[in-house]
Order: sequence, then C-alpha cells, then structure tokens
Amino acid sequence: MSNEITISVNGKSETHTVEGRELLVDFLRERLSLTGTHVGCDTSSCGACTIHMNGQAVKSCSILAAQADGAEVTTIEGLASNGALHPLQEGFNEEHGLQCGFCTPGIIMTAADFLQNNSNPTEHEIREALEGNFCRCTGYHNIVKSIQYAAKKMNA
Amino acid sequence: MNKFSWYEAKSVEDAVKQVNNTVSEELYLPSGKAAIFKSGGIDVLDLVKEGLIQPKTIVNVRNIPGLNKISFDDNGLRIGANVTLAEIEGNEAVKTRYAALHEAVAHAATPQLRNMSTIAGNLAQRTRCWYFRSSDHPCFRKGGDKCFAKHSETGQNENHAILENDRCVSVYASSVATALLAYQGSVMITNGKMESRQVPLSEFFVAPDQDVSRENILEPNDLITEISVPAPDMNTKSYYSKQVQRASYDWSMADVAIVAQMNGDTCEKITITLGAAAPIPIRAYEAEKIVLNKKINEERATRAAKVAMENAKPLSKNSYKLPLFESIIKQGLLEIA
Amino acid sequence: MEKRKEIFPFGIPGHNLSEIEREIPNDEPPAWPVNDQLKEVGKRVNRIDARAKVTGEAKYTSDMKLSGMLYAKFLRSNIPHGSITSIDTSEAEKVPGVHGIHIITKNKEDGMVGNEYPEIKYVGQPIAGVAAESLSIAKDAVAMIKIEYDPKSFVIDLEEAMLPDAPLVFKEPIQRQEDGGDVGVVHDGSKGQGNLRGPTTSSFYGGPRGDLEKGFAEADVMVENTYRTQVHTHMPLETHGVVIDWKPEEMLVYASTQNTAGVRNELANYFELPKSQVRVICDFMGGGFGAKHSAGSFGPMAAILSKKTKRPVWLMIDRKEEHLAEGNRPSSIQTLKIGAKRDGTLTAIQQKSHGTAGVALGAGVGRIAQILYDCPNFKTEQYDVLTHAGPGAAWRAPGNVQGAFGVEQAIDELAEKLKMDPLALRDKIDKSEVRKVERSRGAELFGWSNRKPAGSASGIIKKGMGVAQSCWPRFVTLNSSIEVRILNDGSVEVRGSVQDIGTGTKTILAQVVAEELGLKTTDITVRIGDTLFPDGPGSGGSVVTQSITPPARNAAYEAKMKLFNQIATKWETEASKLEAVDGFIIHKDDRSKKIPFKEALRGMRTSQISVTASRSNDYGGFQQPWGLAYGDLGSVQFAEVSVNTNTGFVKVDRVVAAHSCGRPLNMSQLESQVNGGVIQGISYALYENRVMDKGTGHFMNANVDQYKVPYSMEIPEIEVIIVEEYGALSSTDAYGIGEPANIATAVAIANAVYNAIGVRIYEIPITPASILKALNKIYE
Repeated sequence: MSNEITISVNGKSETHTVEGRELLVDFLRERLSLTGTHVGCDTSSCGACTIHMNGQAVKSCSILAAQADGAEVTTIEGLASNGALHPLQEGFNEEHGLQCGFCTPGIIMTAADFLQNNSNPTEHEIREALEGNFCRCTGYHNIVKSIQYAAKKMNA
Repeated sequence: MNKFSWYEAKSVEDAVKQVNNTVSEELYLPSGKAAIFKSGGIDVLDLVKEGLIQPKTIVNVRNIPGLNKISFDDNGLRIGANVTLAEIEGNEAVKTRYAALHEAVAHAATPQLRNMSTIAGNLAQRTRCWYFRSSDHPCFRKGGDKCFAKHSETGQNENHAILENDRCVSVYASSVATALLAYQGSVMITNGKMESRQVPLSEFFVAPDQDVSRENILEPNDLITEISVPAPDMNTKSYYSKQVQRASYDWSMADVAIVAQMNGDTCEKITITLGAAAPIPIRAYEAEKIVLNKKINEERATRAAKVAMENAKPLSKNSYKLPLFESIIKQGLLEIA
Repeated sequence: MEKRKEIFPFGIPGHNLSEIEREIPNDEPPAWPVNDQLKEVGKRVNRIDARAKVTGEAKYTSDMKLSGMLYAKFLRSNIPHGSITSIDTSEAEKVPGVHGIHIITKNKEDGMVGNEYPEIKYVGQPIAGVAAESLSIAKDAVAMIKIEYDPKSFVIDLEEAMLPDAPLVFKEPIQRQEDGGDVGVVHDGSKGQGNLRGPTTSSFYGGPRGDLEKGFAEADVMVENTYRTQVHTHMPLETHGVVIDWKPEEMLVYASTQNTAGVRNELANYFELPKSQVRVICDFMGGGFGAKHSAGSFGPMAAILSKKTKRPVWLMIDRKEEHLAEGNRPSSIQTLKIGAKRDGTLTAIQQKSHGTAGVALGAGVGRIAQILYDCPNFKTEQYDVLTHAGPGAAWRAPGNVQGAFGVEQAIDELAEKLKMDPLALRDKIDKSEVRKVERSRGAELFGWSNRKPAGSASGIIKKGMGVAQSCWPRFVTLNSSIEVRILNDGSVEVRGSVQDIGTGTKTILAQVVAEELGLKTTDITVRIGDTLFPDGPGSGGSVVTQSITPPARNAAYEAKMKLFNQIATKWETEASKLEAVDGFIIHKDDRSKKIPFKEALRGMRTSQISVTASRSNDYGGFQQPWGLAYGDLGSVQFAEVSVNTNTGFVKVDRVVAAHSCGRPLNMSQLESQVNGGVIQGISYALYENRVMDKGTGHFMNANVDQYKVPYSMEIPEIEVIIVEEYGALSSTDAYGIGEPANIATAVAIANAVYNAIGVRIYEIPITPASILKALNKIYE
C-alpha cells in the first residue's frame, strides 16, 4: 500500500514513503509543513489548494501524492525569490486583494500560471482565469486589480 | 478514503492486465477487490472520497507513453486518451475547425481542472446527480431499488432529466460529450486481450433502460486509448451553448451542440445533440428532420426546437428546461443559418 | 471621573458639517478634526498583516501543529430524527493509531450508556469523536463505529412543520435554546404550540405602536404581499474548528473564532474551570460571517479527547459538516401589509413572519419594518418554526436581510401605486439625514435618472434598475478593553483579545494608535486575538470598530501623557504643552524644541509604559430605554441587472453602494467590506439555496460544487460611496460596516429584476427557472 516517491518542492527534492491514498495537499501540509496551501472544500471546487505542478496550476486536493512522483511542485511559499515578493504578492498587498486571506495563496498561484500565458490580460480574461477560485469575503474586485497591478509590473 | 495501492501502468498492455473492474460495476456490485483505472483522477477521487467505491488498487494510466498526442489531418482529429482539456482548448485545429468542441471544452470545469482532466476521463466520468453522489442514497445506479430524484413530492430534481427519464433521471455529466456526439466522434478501446475496437459515440453511451448500472459500454478491462472526430467539410458550421445558473464554473442546466453542413442557407447534413436533457447525451433526430435539406428560417427553427421537446416529460421541478432547450436550439439553428 | 468640555466636528462634510460641544471624561483625548486633517486615520493604509497572508506564512487554526498532536473526526447522524439504540466502538478502538474515542451523552460526564444518548434531531448531528495519529486513521475508525437507530418521522419543510399533525422536533417547551442569530433579541422558546414558537412582537426598539386598524382606515393606498427567502449557509472558506491542548495548568485553545473571549468563557463554564486557566488564541481567521461565535460541539469534543489522551487534539470539521451543522441563515415567509396616504405618508405597517432555524431559534426578520421609515402604527409577529434540520446561526445582519427583502420590495410596490419615483417616496418617508445624502450621491453616480418604467425595455435581454435601503443599529460593547504598551526602544504594541476575522481590525487599531502617537501605522505592532490580553468584543453585529478603537486611542493617549509628563519635567514645562507629530515630540510653543519619539523613551524609568483602557459611555449618552448608540448604520444600494428573457439568465451588471459608518478609518478596508457584503447579497438573491430532500431529510448540496455561490464572473462593477458622518460620540467616532453592507443588495436586485421584466418575483433565489415561470414561458 506504500510507495516511495520523490517530488521537487520549491526547488528542494523530497523523498518520502506515502500511502496510496495520501493526497498531495496533505503531503505538502503535513509532511513538509507547507501550510500556506489551504484546504477549503477537499473536493476540487474552491481552489484554495491551488499549487503549480510542472508549471501548471492544479488543485492539490485532487491529486494523489503518488501521482506527483517525479514532478516539480511550487507552492505559495516558493513564489517569492530571495525574500523579494513576487509582483502578484505585492499586488495583493497594494490593492487590498484580500480580507481573511484564506483563499489568497490559491488565487495567487492560479494567477501566476495565468500571467505566464497571458502577460497583458483584459479584466474579463482575468475573471475567466479565476473561475475556479472561491473567495467569500472580498468581492473579487480588488483581486482583479491586484492581478492587473502584477501584470503591469511584470511587463515594465 | 479507504486504503488502496497505487500502480503506475507502463503501457496499455500493462494497464489492461492490472485492471479487473470498472467504476460502474464497483458502484453497482462492490467486489472489494477492484483494481480500477484513473487518468486525471478527479472523478475517481471524488467517488473514493465519498466512499462510493473502495478500490483495492488504482491503476494510473496517466503516464502511459503515446496516449498524450493530439493531431489533425484530412481524416480528422485524433485525441489521445490522456490529452488534457487544457491542451484541447489550446489546439489550433480545434479552435479553427471544431468551434463547437472548442466552446464546450473551454467551458468545462475550471482552469486548474482542465490542466488535470483528460478527455477519456471526462467522457467516462459519472453523473453529478446529488443522490447518486451521496452514499446515504442507494439509488438504481448503485444497486438500490429506487430513484430518489424522480419522486414527485420529495425529489429534488431541478437539474435532472426531462427526456428518457422513466427509470433513472440523472443527466450525463460531461458537456464535452454533447459536442463530440454532434461531430459524430468515436472512441478507440483496447480490451484485456489487447484487441482494439472503434466505437462511435452514439453507441458508447448506455441509457438506463438498457442497463441502469452503467453510463457507457466500458467493460472491466477496457481502456480508452483515443478519441477520433471526422474532419468537418469546409461548409460545416457549428454551434455550442451551455446554459448555467452562473457564468463561472457550473454544471450544465441545458447544453446544445449543432454541427451542420450548409449549402448556402440550405442545411444538407445536421446533427443536433442535447446535454443535461437525458441520462446520456442524445441526438434530437426529429428536430434534425425539420431542417434537413431545407432552408433554415425563423419558423423552421422554432418548429425544430418545439419538436425536440415533444416527448419531454418534465419532473416536479424542472419544467423550466423545456423553454430553455427550445430557446437555445432555435438560437443555434438561426446562428448557423 | 472629572469631565471637561470639548468641541467636536458634527454632521456630514459637504452637507451639514458643524460643531458640537460635548462633555467628556478628563482622561480621554481631545477631539480629532475631520479626516482631511489627520495623517493615518481615514487614509488608504495597506493592511499590516497582508504580507503574512500573501506569502503563506499566516497560520490559521487549521495550520497549527503542536508536538504530539492527534487529529480528531466526528461521527455524525445520517438520519434526521430518531433515537440511538446502540453504539459499538470496539472495532474502531482496535484500529492502530487510534488514541481516544468519546461518545456524546445527555450527561456530559463520560461513560454513560444505553438511552442516555441525546435524541437525533437532524442529519449531521454529532454523535461521537475519534482522536488518532492522522486524520485518515481517525476517519477509518469513525467508519468502523457501529450504530443503530430507532428512526422516527421527521419534518423538513417549514409549512409542513406548522401543520397540526407534524412530527414534533421538541416535545417540551425550550427553556434556553441556542439562538439562531436574531441579534439583540432572545427568542422565547417557551411559548407556542407544536413546532411553532413565539411570536416575538417587540425588540430593543419597543413593541407594537399606535392603532393598526385606524392606520389602515386612514390609508389611500395599500400593498399586501408575501415574500419568501431561502435557507443559506455561511460557507467561510476556513471551516469551524479548534486545536486544544489541555495541560494540567491551562487549557490552551487555538480556535477559528469571531470571539476569543466568548469561546474562553464558554469552555470555562462547560468544564467548570476558572477563566484564568483557559487561553484562547485566534491570530489569523478564515472567515466566519456570524457563524463562529461559539465553541460549538467541536470545542468540548476536542477538549475531552485532549484530556483523555493527554495530547493536543486538532479538530477541524470538513466542508460537508460545515454545511450540515455549523449554522445557516433561517428562511422566512413574510406577509407585509403597508398603508399610505396619497402623498406617500405611511399610515400603518403590519408584518407577520415564519422562519425556520432548524433545531434552533432566532428565525426572525429583524427591525427594518419597525424603524426604517416613519410610521405611527406598527405591529410585527415573528414566529420560529422548528424543523429537523441543522441549527441556524447569526449570519451577517441576521433577520434584517430577510426583513429588508420584504419591506423594500413593498415600498417599491407602494411607490408604483402612488406613481412616485421610489427615491422620491423614500425622501418623503425616511427621516435619516445620512440616507438622504446617500440617496442623492448614489443616484447621481448610478445614473438613476436613466431608469425606465418597469417592463418597458425591449429586446430579448432586458435591463432594469432597482434601489433599496437598509439600517443596522449602532451596537456598542462596553466590556471592551485594550492595552497599549510603549517600550523603551520606541516600539509600540497593542494587545487585546479582540480578533481580526479578516475585516482589518489589526490595521485600524494600528492606525488609531499611530495617529495618536504621531507615528506611522507600520510602526505599531498589533497582537490581538489572545485572551491572555484584555477582553475585547466579539466580531459580530458590526460592533468592533466602535467598541475597541476608542479605548485603543484612549490608552495610547494616556500612555502618551505619561511619557509627556516625564519629558515635561525635563524640559521644565507642562505635559499639555507637548505634542507628538511625525515621529517627534514637540514643544507646541517653541517648535524648535523637539525630540524623536524613540529617543524620548530612552530615559524612561521603567522599560515600558503600559495602559489598559476600556470603552466608556458614548459622549452623547445612549438612547433610552434601549441602550443603543444614537443614529444607525444606513445604506442605500443601487443595482442594475440584465435579464435574458429566453433563458432566464440574470446577470448583475453594476452596483452602487452608498454607506455611512461615522468616521471612516481606512477607506480601502471599508470598500472591501462593502464589496464583500454586496457579493453575499448577490449570492443570496440569485444563487444560494440549501436543497433538502424531503424523503430522507438530507441536505443534498452540502458541498462547494452544487451549493452555488458566486465566483469572479458573477461579480459586477461595484462602486462604493462612503459618506463621512460625525456624531461626536467617542474618541474615534468610528463604526463598523460589515452588516449594513449585506442588507440591501438582494432586494435592490429583486427591484431591478422587476424593473427589467415588469413581473415581480417574491421569492429568492431568483433563478432561470423562476424568471421563465414569471414570464409565463413554462408549460407542462
């Protein structure tokens, strides 16, 4: 029932023996204490657990750890480089793109993938990109502005 | 989730040898020994999380070499079983030649799930009927003795079927299937003896009155390896519309795909398919007849839309689906005209 | 306490700003001028906790990991009504990694068996809990507990529950029942027959007034209709839960809560511990919206399991449990009868409502009908109907959201009958000065003058405009204290039990203290959400800002004066001659005499100055006999919608929300709060609905997938107008805005839908099905 897997998480190689049923999100939160990736629904609907696997935004509650064997994973903790915030992290701070902040890591990770493929998005495109991330508090409005802030900064 | 072991299949042959059951059979008659396939794994994990199936082994087919290619030539479109919805959405040939398919794929699930979900997994996913998804409701599809949704006083059936709904009233979950059926796509299946067969989608889905335990023909060792779609004629026009309660990420209340070969404003070939209308995606044959070899005008479009709903038997809470389907069928016909 | 007189700004800038003299306690600071003249307060200051949230460093309760911690999982009922005949945990106990199992009994002492289990009254009722080395093991063990029930007939539907032969939810009168969240009113569970309880006829605004019959006799025009609202759940993204370490010397509780002090009191009371031996911490919190005031059943369960296993226990519930058992906004069926004279003057309002908070009480429809408009004759009867469903809980502006849905549609209908513009009618009957300003500024920004007669739009997609108003009482929690410490390295710390549930409480506290000390917001360290520090208010009812920012400012002021006294001695002057500005302490008469704030602290006798202050009475006193602050928190919201008359699809295109909250402290945070209230209103109007199967009593869409909430694409352009309004009532004169933001949206949308299609829809959620039905497009 156990498998040995190796996943590169935020640039660091992690080898662990996992049960078949262990979810990637639990692997990150429980084994690696990377608790910035949150669980909001556990059924792939809310987007709070969004991370990057091999460069793409995916929901880590719907992936088994075993399935991520050999993959490169980036979590919210791995987004800032050398202490400098990613433009998206800066944007969510400057534009008040958060309230309780529980959805924020997942939204930032979704947006980071999106901006890789569309560096100069329209507001509508940003909203489409966010359709898999639920925010109960803050109205999405400032979240869109935060992503626009980051896009502008990344293009400058 | 129960404890299960994880098997990484190295080839199609390896995979079909490992597997001994389908998700459907395991739901209907649990074996306790099931080894089942997963590709993107979203739907399988949902079912395991709810405790609806308790597999002994999950066989991962996601990394089998050769199943992740998408190509287009004069013979049409070939989509490997493991191609993700995101890859289909981004494919140029799909965008330009299969507009209705592109539209359906782009509105399936969410960006993160489209990055994970594969086309074969999308087609083989089980219904989202909330009774089916609840381990506390043993319905027909799970070997139980009733359809909870159908009950005229207690059933919560606003999302359910209006056509072919005599026994189970669930609707098929995949809206991509609606579009693929309209393009008359087919599924390549390999069985446990490594024999391959090509099955048109029109024969792939299984209606409840044929067999309520399943939604498709897949047998225990069957693995989908490829989806193929014929090349559309240059005069082909297509339409797809999915009606939802909210624009972001939502399950279909009614979706319609139309693929038609037009000669001027005359319709020479047409398929009209309906999703979220019946337990499986269905063709509206009678409606097609109204416009076939005719000019599509307002009056014919209206009549075709009416005819498509002629046999509808709405349940206690879903009669709104009739005007909804009518309006989008009509709009679709007028758009391709 | 000696008092002195101070001149305060009073009124609305740009409208009627003047001054007023108030007597204030001597130890409280001088009046602040209007926001224009302040440096930190009222500005768009960034959140001081945003960095932790965007980097993933913020630790929520669910992120807590204590050494040796176990994970707990509930076993819950899957029948709606019945008694438990047996529970067998023997197999579950054998699962490797299981350390403790606790079964809930009527008697809270452990070890009871047989018929001592509480009766099951809803699907999802907690029965037992298991603590194990991992969550998966705990779940495995829960699945192995064998339970047998004696099922009984049940009732889910509100109207069926009112029938004479309906199965009873409680056979006995309810003496004290968890309040479903009608803030400020305790619903009486002792009166009533069958499943009916009540009626509640009075509130802190008094009881019935005038003579209804006379009022209706005087009316030229009447409106009478029935309005229906659904049950919806809170769905905070972080579910309810705790991590509890019950050590011999202290019970340490990390809780996802809106009220650390309240949870401490509840647990201390439950386990008969001194409050001093229970410590509750909530540093970061993933949303609550009213549902997270209590320790619930998870608090005691985790505590008992921690005591049994002698290890810390993590118990966060999952999304399904959250939907089933941890709160919802009760439904309502309201009939309203309103009479008016030809000129719009209201002559009588009669309101009767029934609502269900499941197995709890508190399904009232609030005070909107009673107080929003001037009307001499008024009566309300609000009934609770008990059903076999999960308990309701306070949900952002409890009662008033339901009530507004009826009242503000009825006023719209009245305006139409009177051939008056809906805003003109409100100008006539609403005596609130601030709402008058909100109406006028809102209407201008929204373009209300472009509104067309109802149903006159042509084409398939019809646009419509609607407006609605709201009010919410200004509650003040006088038991609100906070400590300000100035340390001798110049750093400043604010400490309190008050928690930040995401609204930005940490940031406004830092702003207020920084303003008082002449520092920057970023200079202040805020440590709150910990009952080790002075007790603050719960984050509910929009009470926090007005309850905790005045003591924070007062404490900072007192600490500053202590510092000034020390410096004044050195400078051979008086403390009153000094001021703190831009990081300096300056002699007011000789501005060349100044010293940086940090340096001034170096020579202090002790290493810190610490002052704890508590909320004093409002400067103008409180309204009597109810004890509420004067004024209310009003709003006027405008909505524009598009309705596709072929498909029934409704899209909200635009919302203009005009609000007041006294002195605004942080414009960006206020806008976020209003945006959040608006989206929840949109959600209530168009999407959310708890779907219950009447045959089995199960909540069918208890997930995020089919329980519909708006995502990014559903949210329109939202423009927020904050009207500054000075009342000279406290040292900050600032109020919360959480509840008001949520009240008017849904009914503004309902009014806009009517304006678009010319048919009024009396029930939410408004769905494609209800639009197609209203347009007579559904045939059988």
